[in-house]
Amino acid sequence: MNTLRALALRGNSKLFIQRAYATTKKKISVETDEDLPIFQYPVSKSSDRRVYVWGLAETGALGIHLPRGKRGKKAYKNSFTLAWHPMRSSFAERFDVTQIASGYGFTVAAIKTNEQHKVFGTGINTDSQIGYHSPRIGHPLEILLSPAPIYVPYKSLESKIVGLSAGRAHTVILTDNEGAYTLGNNAYGQCGRKINPNEEYKGSMATHNIKRLGKETITDVCCGQDHTMFITESGKVYACGWGADGQTGLGTYENQGIPAPVKGDITSEKIVKVASTVDCVLALNDKGELFGWGNSEYGQVPMATKQQQVNMSYALVNFTKGLGKIKDIASGGSFCLIVNEHGDAFVWGYGLLGLGPNVQHTAKPTLIPPPLFGRNEFNPECTVEKVSCGVGHLAAITNNGDLYMWGRNRHGCLGLGHSKDQLFPLRVAIGAHVLKAVCSVDHTIALCKPFT
Amino acid sequence: MQKLQLTLAIIKPHAVKNPVALSYIRQVIKNKFIVVKTKRVSLDKEAASNFYKEHMGKFFYNRLVTFMASGCIDLHIMGHANAVELWRKLLGPTSVYKGQFQEPYCLRGMFGISDTRNVAHGSDSSTSAEREIKFFFPDFSFYEWHEFSEEYYRKGPIIFNDHLFEHVRKL
Repeated sequence: MNTLRALALRGNSKLFIQRAYATTKKKISVETDEDLPIFQYPVSKSSDRRVYVWGLAETGALGIHLPRGKRGKKAYKNSFTLAWHPMRSSFAERFDVTQIASGYGFTVAAIKTNEQHKVFGTGINTDSQIGYHSPRIGHPLEILLSPAPIYVPYKSLESKIVGLSAGRAHTVILTDNEGAYTLGNNAYGQCGRKINPNEEYKGSMATHNIKRLGKETITDVCCGQDHTMFITESGKVYACGWGADGQTGLGTYENQGIPAPVKGDITSEKIVKVASTVDCVLALNDKGELFGWGNSEYGQVPMATKQQQVNMSYALVNFTKGLGKIKDIASGGSFCLIVNEHGDAFVWGYGLLGLGPNVQHTAKPTLIPPPLFGRNEFNPECTVEKVSCGVGHLAAITNNGDLYMWGRNRHGCLGLGHSKDQLFPLRVAIGAHVLKAVCSVDHTIALCKPFT
Repeated sequence: MQKLQLTLAIIKPHAVKNPVALSYIRQVIKNKFIVVKTKRVSLDKEAASNFYKEHMGKFFYNRLVTFMASGCIDLHIMGHANAVELWRKLLGPTSVYKGQFQEPYCLRGMFGISDTRNVAHGSDSSTSAEREIKFFFPDFSFYEWHEFSEEYYRKGPIIFNDHLFEHVRKL
């Protein structure tokens, strides 16, 4: 053994010791310096889209991986992983996200592509609301922790996704020339097909195609928790799903399988937007007038008869008199939020409305003081452009692309870095120009473009 | 130790379909109560309207019945010295929209979506617990359990069977 080592030392010692050192710097002359390539770091374009996510990450709805903190061995069972601040989704860096939507514990996003997989989903999948995913045959996944493609049988790969919406356990994908595809739970008929009481939704591969409604193409979709509304070319609204609060607006309180036109005051109007998060529905026509139906337990759709369940659409023109043309609408669990053409936000209903330190009920549309959204002497042009509502939280986007949030802070869905309820609008720290915010029950996502 | 009282907990369809909420609720039940029986059923409209017939005529009756018939529900018969009151306290106020501000960390404040989708049902008294248990577990005898098994569940030895989600006799 010793002789062997001695041999190795003597024979190959040079191999171990000898190294090459650069003794002189390589000289670069000025002329050649100009020929050297300059490395350009990637720069964001204004056409890029970023997605920020925050709230409850335990369900996988954020599609990001968060490390578990240093906690006890079994501590995880009673504490959830949360994203307290907006976090940039890496999924949106790899794909060009065009549409986003979020349901109860899941998120879907549509991307710009000519390939089969145009829509991706992540989160809870117990009703196959984000498709069939089964790495082990016969054992479909109940939760997806990172975005996975949703298989939808498109007729042509050239089709584009123009609308996306999600409810408690169903997803509606709207294409430009193939109509809408629905997947997920159909227990109330929210997928727009006949209700089968014994259908098993877990591990289901069913997709339903609604090509046209009343011989017109569908231009927009909106999902409440358990119902779906479609807007057609001429501004008609069709609804299907749970009708126990009158949220389908069909004049009954029954479940509706096949989409049917909403009755009441909107039949003669051209509707451009429908908003619904839980059971109350607001609609906006092309003249900027407001209509409503559905749940009205907290006075969201005020009726002379103090009716709590409004099963037909009613014009709220008198109710919103003096507010001017309405630009954007949103309805939450127990309140409604609208913004008029001057960029002022009005709120009514029950909850943390952003009007002061107390949980309160407001029967009339009440102005949220504009200085709270950044309008002051130095910045008089600041207006609210878009609004959106979750079940208990509210969001408003200003013309500068700032996102303000307030309300119930369930599982950190306000993104303010703490778990306390927010009593008045407060700006959320997002390093981008916010284009659209989607509030769900316990998480929020925002589609943004870079500051350029 | 006081005698055990029984109550019925019904986990509503939207919470059963949310694995995160369900595992949290089950953890609470497992740690606070003695679980005597567990069953997962899917109600049809008729059974649901029978169960809630005391609410017939109220404006939310149809809403409650169609909601309960919309998916699987979990039933747990749970025992505790003060079961009825404790379970209702853990659940929090019935109305989610109002209760979430008073008690944000009760089960309904954390997982409720609306006043109907309020996570779970709890019996409001010992007598209604008996009626409700009889409704869902026709072969479970309230009298027999109190007479013969109650002492055993109270004094043990019992262990928790995760597969059945019930406390069982330790052999």
